[in-house]
Amino acid sequence: MRFTTLILRNLFRRRARTLLTAAGLAVAIAAVLDLVGVAWNFDRAFTSLYQGKGIDIIVARAGVANQLSSALDQKLGERLGRIPGVKAVAASMVDVVGFEQANIAGALINGWESGSLLFRGTHVLEGRMFHPGERNVAMLGRVLALNLGKKVGDEIDVAGEPFQVVAIHESDSLFESGGLIVPLASLQYLMGREGQVTGFVIQAEPSDPKSVSGLQRRIEEEIPGVAATQARDQIARDMQLRLAKLMAWATTALAVLLGSVGVLNTMLMTVFERTGEIGVLRALGWKRRRVMTMILGESLCLGLLGTILGMILAVVGMRLILLEPTARGFIEPNIPAPVLGMGLLVGFALSILGGVYPAIRAAALDPSEALRHE
Amino acid sequence: MNEHEQTSEPILQGEALRKVYPDGEVEALRGVSIEVAPGESVAVVGPSGCGKTTLLHLLGGLDEPTSGKVFHRGRLLSEIDRDQYRAREIGFVFQSFHLLPTLSALENVQVPMFETDWPPRERAERAASLIEQVGMAHRRNHIPSRLSVGERQRIAIARALANEPSVLLADEPTGNLDSRKQAEILELLEGFRQSRGLTLLIVTHSAEVAAAADRIVRMRDGLVEAE
Repeated sequence: MRFTTLILRNLFRRRARTLLTAAGLAVAIAAVLDLVGVAWNFDRAFTSLYQGKGIDIIVARAGVANQLSSALDQKLGERLGRIPGVKAVAASMVDVVGFEQANIAGALINGWESGSLLFRGTHVLEGRMFHPGERNVAMLGRVLALNLGKKVGDEIDVAGEPFQVVAIHESDSLFESGGLIVPLASLQYLMGREGQVTGFVIQAEPSDPKSVSGLQRRIEEEIPGVAATQARDQIARDMQLRLAKLMAWATTALAVLLGSVGVLNTMLMTVFERTGEIGVLRALGWKRRRVMTMILGESLCLGLLGTILGMILAVVGMRLILLEPTARGFIEPNIPAPVLGMGLLVGFALSILGGVYPAIRAAALDPSEALRHE
Repeated sequence: MNEHEQTSEPILQGEALRKVYPDGEVEALRGVSIEVAPGESVAVVGPSGCGKTTLLHLLGGLDEPTSGKVFHRGRLLSEIDRDQYRAREIGFVFQSFHLLPTLSALENVQVPMFETDWPPRERAERAASLIEQVGMAHRRNHIPSRLSVGERQRIAIARALANEPSVLLADEPTGNLDSRKQAEILELLEGFRQSRGLTLLIVTHSAEVAAAADRIVRMRDGLVEAE
């Protein structure tokens, strides 16, 4: 018999209690995995949105918390292009539209000019790019096309206007794969914001951090009322992303706390119930360290069981989240491997936190006194 | 006394042992001195609460005396690793057996061996051999709840012998057994004493068990009344 056999037998001595504790842990771990997974995927989607296109700076109206509410004159693009250090400029309008018939509450709609640098990283799977001057045509992201059940040549209704699908595209960013791209002029008309854009993206020349910082300052000096933000800072500053991350970490902290208390309670009950038995083990020559290892081992196995169940529950939970129309196209239905690894670490941490006190208590039992408990 | 008996130095010695429990109200031992020779079998008898079990715990390194000294082969117990002492030199047998309920008989016998360097296979082989010696080979894979009380005590004895101790301390080992089973257990213990040169110290209420020992120590009110 191995020591681990003894630990596992002890753990399943009271099956119902062990399984209930593991179930509690599983819910906590699943909440952590789903929330951190969503935040992680959001972050990755944002990162690929800018970095995959070689964008160094994003220009928006100063003081706005969200790019969607930014409004700038489209003509500023020419002034931006003349600033030394700017290699390329692209105007962009972004908004959110719903497709009620397909039960999609919100999908990102991008208004870009034909040939814009924003098309980098966008792969046409079917159909063609739209041409300069073309109106009311749409390139559907793969995920949105799937959700809408549309293909090239079909017509879709966007905010009451008919658009013809000219392409199905795939992008490195889920935001784009879950949304659609239309000509900038079409979106400006649709939103009643002719001549306006929500922002500009800039590729610096050359792209080294020092020159990008200098360019950022020059843009804000030359064009009052705009905020130039480096792409990597834009990701870090995005309010929704920060909130998502904050919620994920707050949930993690809460899960660790609650999970630890659950394990602590179960393991303390175990030690109380088995006081006499621990006395016997000590009488048989077991050192305090071995008793402690046994209780910690039981706690770790309990944590591992909860973590495995939590991972399964998280995958199921993610599928359930995707049943919610708002989530479709914004959330990737997978939990990244590093997040699963973090789940394991959380499980390990709460097992240790919950198991260490009962283990110390068990090891500290006086064998003679413990035997009298029987 | 048996063939392994040596008279030069006691294997176990208690000197003026006094034990007051932490609440200060119970003085379980009030200056008990005892010597046990190697290979000897000693029965400790006396009414309930006279301090028999406390004496056994002090000699077995389960507890420390409030005052007085315990020696094993001349070495002061307070100066050696008591866990190591219990693991290597002492085998405990309890009235209620105290077998682990989720483990089979074979696995229960291996429990004390975790404190040795023996690999798992050797532990299993040794345990199987001990179980055979106590006549329980056919029940080796049964958990305690599937065994009779006599069978459980046999397994407990095999467990006590797992690490080849020099002294076996038994606290009412036949207290839960009928007279036939009691005789079988006594015969088993005596057999091990003879074959292994074990020293036996048995706490008992039973006159039959006491009569089977080389020597009887009578206790009353925390003192040795007579030998």
